[in-house]
Amino acid sequence: MATRGLQKHYGPRTALAGLDLSVPSGVVYGFLGPNGAGKTTTMRLLTGLIHPDGGTMELLGQPFGRRDRHRLFDVGALIESPAFYPYLSGRANLQALAASGAPTPKRRVEEVLELVGLRERGGDKVSNYSLGMKQRLGIAGALLNDPRLLLLDEPANGLDPAGIVAMRDTLRHLASTGKTVFISSHLLSEVSQLADMIGIIAAGKLIREGRIETLLSDEGRVRVRVAAHEVSTAVAALAPLGVAARVDGSDAGRPAGPASETGWLEVPIEPSRASEVNRILAAAGIYASGLESGSDLESLFLELTTAAPAPHSEGQIQAVPGNWQ
Amino acid sequence: MRLFVSTLGKLRSRLATWLTLGLLILLMALIYLAVGATAKEAEARPNGAAVLLLLTFPGAYALILGFVLGLGGLFVLAYAAAIAGSEWSWGTLKTAVARGESRSRYMLTTYAGIALLAGIGLLIAFAVGVVVTFLAAKLAGVSTDGISDTSIFGNLPEQFLRGWFGLVEVGAVGFTIATLARSQLAGVGAGIGIYFAESFAGLFLPDIIKYLPFNAANALIASGSATGSPGGQSASRLDPNAALIVVLIWLVASLAVTAVFTERAEISG
Repeated sequence: MATRGLQKHYGPRTALAGLDLSVPSGVVYGFLGPNGAGKTTTMRLLTGLIHPDGGTMELLGQPFGRRDRHRLFDVGALIESPAFYPYLSGRANLQALAASGAPTPKRRVEEVLELVGLRERGGDKVSNYSLGMKQRLGIAGALLNDPRLLLLDEPANGLDPAGIVAMRDTLRHLASTGKTVFISSHLLSEVSQLADMIGIIAAGKLIREGRIETLLSDEGRVRVRVAAHEVSTAVAALAPLGVAARVDGSDAGRPAGPASETGWLEVPIEPSRASEVNRILAAAGIYASGLESGSDLESLFLELTTAAPAPHSEGQIQAVPGNWQ
Repeated sequence: MRLFVSTLGKLRSRLATWLTLGLLILLMALIYLAVGATAKEAEARPNGAAVLLLLTFPGAYALILGFVLGLGGLFVLAYAAAIAGSEWSWGTLKTAVARGESRSRYMLTTYAGIALLAGIGLLIAFAVGVVVTFLAAKLAGVSTDGISDTSIFGNLPEQFLRGWFGLVEVGAVGFTIATLARSQLAGVGAGIGIYFAESFAGLFLPDIIKYLPFNAANALIASGSATGSPGGQSASRLDPNAALIVVLIWLVASLAVTAVFTERAEISG
């Protein structure tokens, strides 16, 4: 799947300003971005629900435009919230869905109900389903035509932990059979566990794309732990690197206590230079008790998306110390 | 075909389908039984004998059909608007489109299902209407000998077809309005608004409103009240055959607008 220079405007507002995505076959691709970045707009465009103002799209290696709806026969999608007839049962909803679009064998309804763990409740009306059950049914609907490409918008919404694990296993299994899974999500930890590749968009443009481990490694920093009383000496020793080492105040996942006591320093250089940091400290007589390189997805996401220009779309909660962004 | 069969299944399972038919039958039964129960007193009043014509076969057949079509037109319009609007507001159209379904085919097939159910509903309501009228006639002490008068039956199939065609037309208008509004409530409200607007306009613009949806459908049946615009009786009516053409134009135009709008629409939500 690919997009080239994809553009979409809603009146004066630009939702997508030339989006270039490249999603190879057989991967799980995590599509990330802050609210209003253009994720759902991209999903809608890729499923033909809305039409682009510029640029091109490819689905399964073929151009996808207004007259190419048949390409969607090999695509399964769950866009925004799952949509069903509330007065019908889950099973009847899937049967109704199977009657539209790609021809679907009748037995497939039972197969996907089984797959998402809803076979026992398949006869219940959807209006009696919980949010998580509706989400499972939505995923079942997306899998109905045994798609080669799966587009899922926030698939973990409303799922309980067991449901999330099951969904993750299912999607990983699908990718292992050569299918492509494209997931938009706000759950960065979920994406980091699930995705092979990620694309991060902000303000309607792709700002980073690649294999997840490569991006985390390339975009990260080196963190080093020294004795608390050696912090200031270590900072001075690292000055020749040309970057300012600073006390790491995040302290995530580490023993409680002020950063200066735990002695974690953050050195903003490429992770490949971690050994250089270690060598400089050792030369200064400081022996690191911990050394980490790379980044985590959350840090990378925040770093990239806060640097990008603010989208002209949904109201963005501005950065407030100690608050959300 | 699988889409049409599926559409019928969805409509059959929907409460609104049975509620619409049930309400129509209930209102008809209440009115006819009330007429039957009070016929004796009504007969004593000036022009009271005319009330008994409602219950006197074989003439009652045409009046039952007229009644069913009259109220039924409004009900079909609201029903069609509810179905079309829900496809947008529930997001089920979105799901079908994302599976590669043709937008216009989906909506037109949905309407074909509504049209078929309107025809079935017409037959059921008419049959119940005959039974209720028979009971009301018994209640009023009116002779029911004319019920087996077959001379009227020769004309009934054509009247049925014309009436059904009128229902399909007004239903299409409601369906289209709800599609344009993407909302059940707006579709139902606007449809009912048009129904009454036609009635009021009939007081001032009788030569124009005879071409409007309800009045044209009303004129399809020469002697009935068809889809029953209240203003229709006082307004000048189209000739039934001319009305056929006008109704056809409204039907085709409504469905064409639905198809074009749905094809071009940006689907979200």
